[in-house]
Amino acid sequence: MSKTIDNMSSVRPDLIEKVTGRAEYITDLTVPGMLHGFVVRSPAVHARIVSIDTSAALASDGVVDVLTGADVAQFGLWGLVLKDRPIIAIDRVRHVGEPIAVVIADTVEIAENAAELVDVEYEELPRATTIREAMADGAPLIHAHHENLQDFYFKGGARPTQGSNVFHTYRNEVGDVDAAEATAAYIHEDHFTFPGISHFALEPHTVIADFKGDSLTIWAGAQTPTAVQKVLSRLFGLQLARIRVIVPFVGGGFGGKASVKIEPLVAAASWKVQRPVRIAQSQVESMLTCRRLGADITIRTAVDAKGRIVAKSAKLLLDGGAYSDTGSAVATKSANRIMGPYVMPNLRLEAQAVYTNTIPGAAFRSIGGPQAVWAKESHMDNVAAAIGMDPSEFRLINLASRGQRTRPDLRALDMDMSELMGRVSQSFGTEANASNRKSRGLAVAATDPANTPISNAIVRLKIDGSILVSTSAIEVGQGSHATMGRIAAQTLKQPASAVTVLRTDTAVAPYDWGTGASRSTIVVGLSVEKAALDAADQILEMVADVWELPKESLSLVEGGVSIGAEVLTFHEIFHRTLGVDSGEVIGRGAITPRSKKGALVESPLFWETSAGLAEIIVDEDTGEIHIPHYASAADVGRVINRVAAEGQDEGAAVMGFGHALYEQLEFEDGQPVNANPIDYFIPRISDVPPAFDTILIENGDGPGPGGAKGMGEGAILPVAPAIANALFSAYGIRITDLPMTPEKVWRALQKRN
Amino acid sequence: MTHHLPISFSLNGEAIAIEVPTHTLLVDLIRDRIGLKGTKRSCDMEVCGACTVLLDGAPISSCTTLAVDVDRREVTTIEGVTPADGLSRIQEAFVRHGGLQCGFCTPGFIMAVTALLKAKPHPTDDEIRHYLHGNLCRCTGYIKIFEAVKSLA
Repeated sequence: MSKTIDNMSSVRPDLIEKVTGRAEYITDLTVPGMLHGFVVRSPAVHARIVSIDTSAALASDGVVDVLTGADVAQFGLWGLVLKDRPIIAIDRVRHVGEPIAVVIADTVEIAENAAELVDVEYEELPRATTIREAMADGAPLIHAHHENLQDFYFKGGARPTQGSNVFHTYRNEVGDVDAAEATAAYIHEDHFTFPGISHFALEPHTVIADFKGDSLTIWAGAQTPTAVQKVLSRLFGLQLARIRVIVPFVGGGFGGKASVKIEPLVAAASWKVQRPVRIAQSQVESMLTCRRLGADITIRTAVDAKGRIVAKSAKLLLDGGAYSDTGSAVATKSANRIMGPYVMPNLRLEAQAVYTNTIPGAAFRSIGGPQAVWAKESHMDNVAAAIGMDPSEFRLINLASRGQRTRPDLRALDMDMSELMGRVSQSFGTEANASNRKSRGLAVAATDPANTPISNAIVRLKIDGSILVSTSAIEVGQGSHATMGRIAAQTLKQPASAVTVLRTDTAVAPYDWGTGASRSTIVVGLSVEKAALDAADQILEMVADVWELPKESLSLVEGGVSIGAEVLTFHEIFHRTLGVDSGEVIGRGAITPRSKKGALVESPLFWETSAGLAEIIVDEDTGEIHIPHYASAADVGRVINRVAAEGQDEGAAVMGFGHALYEQLEFEDGQPVNANPIDYFIPRISDVPPAFDTILIENGDGPGPGGAKGMGEGAILPVAPAIANALFSAYGIRITDLPMTPEKVWRALQKRN
Repeated sequence: MTHHLPISFSLNGEAIAIEVPTHTLLVDLIRDRIGLKGTKRSCDMEVCGACTVLLDGAPISSCTTLAVDVDRREVTTIEGVTPADGLSRIQEAFVRHGGLQCGFCTPGFIMAVTALLKAKPHPTDDEIRHYLHGNLCRCTGYIKIFEAVKSLA
């Protein structure tokens, strides 16, 4: 470590490993005796499997075995909310890219070549490839029946409609929307659509599984290792204690590696050959594995004569793809996230998630959020324009204030949205130039993260003052390991350099729900703080007992315990207490729904909020949108690591630019058209606005350590509607489906003229 | 049948003589045969830049370069620009400015910036954007990467 870095007390240890190329990701690991699997995938959109002939593949030199549905039918189906998924296609394929067979061989090359020899005969079935087709009368049923798994992954479950493709319906109604609309001064309704979007983590899904008799070890870039453990335990009938999930550094997740993805498939391949098997997907394969849910949204607002919202209703249809994964939760959240930080005395929400014969939907940064906020905030400007009010003014008079509830069953707002709006506006300077102001668009968001308050941590203080922290939080780039280390160090009053955070390994780390929903800093952070306090208490107890001093007179200091006049080193304490010059104390911290007198139970634990202000210039000859300036604000309670926190929000916002301007997984009658890195565009460095303001609001009012709130998912939300609102304000065109491609904008401009 | 060719090249200053199948890609030679895992494999299509290495000092995608094509040439990987002790000034700038999160794209970026600063020790903003156009990052939004490079310009 160089001298200058040594002086950077806030440096994240993981960054040093990563810039040098020494950081180990799942794709860098090998296990002795490891074989390689290559997946044969369905080219069919929806088909019955008539036959699979693996004989030619099996006869190839170096091929050890081939796994097919016949092998795994005995294990039944798996799922997170609905049990709807076979380990590998058994008698039917439901989307292009669905695994049909795994060729297991000595090398990837042999497996890949032999995969071409697997002969599958399909009989096409009627397909439903869009929300509309899937909900039509007489639509082909993609799943014959629906089995809900209550409280399995999230609290609650799905509400499927048997005999239909609807796998979840969520409704929430407050007051009387019909009565309010009957007396309203004005009612406005809009319709928006949102496409499926690829996670596009730079590291594609890769898993190594080692099945030995009744035990199983999995190396995976999994965001929720304990969910992987649970699903595999149920599927294969193994004790949880005999399933070990190890998660090295994860090369990007964004939800695409949350819940469970290809782990059952790789585990089954290893089960079949009883040797370690690795499947390293290509980026193309990962693009066929999961995606953000597309949406079709109708939203309606009724206002009184003064422009105050008297009723709001929304109906959201989510395209869940061929398997539900956590799509039901995405649908529920999309309904909650379409409300926004507004006072809505009468409210009617309905969200449904629907199976289609396309790539399975999955969690993706702020589940259901970008879909909902795209519709809600575009709609707000439409309503404002229709009643002749400035869109900011329209928002301000309808904002719920701090401490006010937007819906009776949700926690009161813990922030002030007008502060965020003021800050983004301020960052643009005070120039009153009217034409400049007109080319700006604003959008705001308030979302309810599902940060399940269940976590455990272990903090071990060793005789030499070094500290070992163990949690199931994974390191996916967000800096959670450094954050956990810092919380432990601060709580135990020891330097950051004394702390080592262990790589995530369920054999060592205690249970935690998983990494996602902006929860780690808060929920896992609180458990680490508690574990560190427990360790501190034990060491103080030791001194009080052995030195016969009142515990209140003792305090932790760097390297030991102060007993007033002198400092006892940890060495002295352990040596005298244990009689040998060795030892450690093991602190345990648990967060449950009962922690903090139940204060963590009410949902959401905190509101994740953001505001975005975009200035745009459109090339009217091409329809291309340029964004010279963007400001993003989020209320984060307290910043723990400024560079990392800003980076989280900047990354989210730029991902939002991708959603807004470029990204859409296209399907033609169910066939993916652009599911490859060449035809699918994510933002490049040249697409980032030259002026970009990142504003983090800190009022120390969050539930996390030091008043922190979770973060990292909010800034993606306002981007698309802010740009669309600027287009509407400056150019008089309203785009209602994403992405806002040059062609779409150009056509709208032509139509306007 | 697979055809093999002997090649000899310099890898991070070290002479390598090895026989490779003619269809072997440089990324696989570096990672799987030689065992230097710092170079990352992602898109396989010369789109993302994660596998960037330097060939005679110029950045190339090792995922679409045949190993036989580096015969008698110089290849530099992330391991070759990392000092035995500590960090290079580029690596340090990335750490200091937070120009990375998950880190999977980072070795590729470090290599591209190494080439950029060699070609243009004081790049303009546009030159930075142009040079790094071929490296994708899904985590950072590029802002802190840009700041890191800018601090060296």
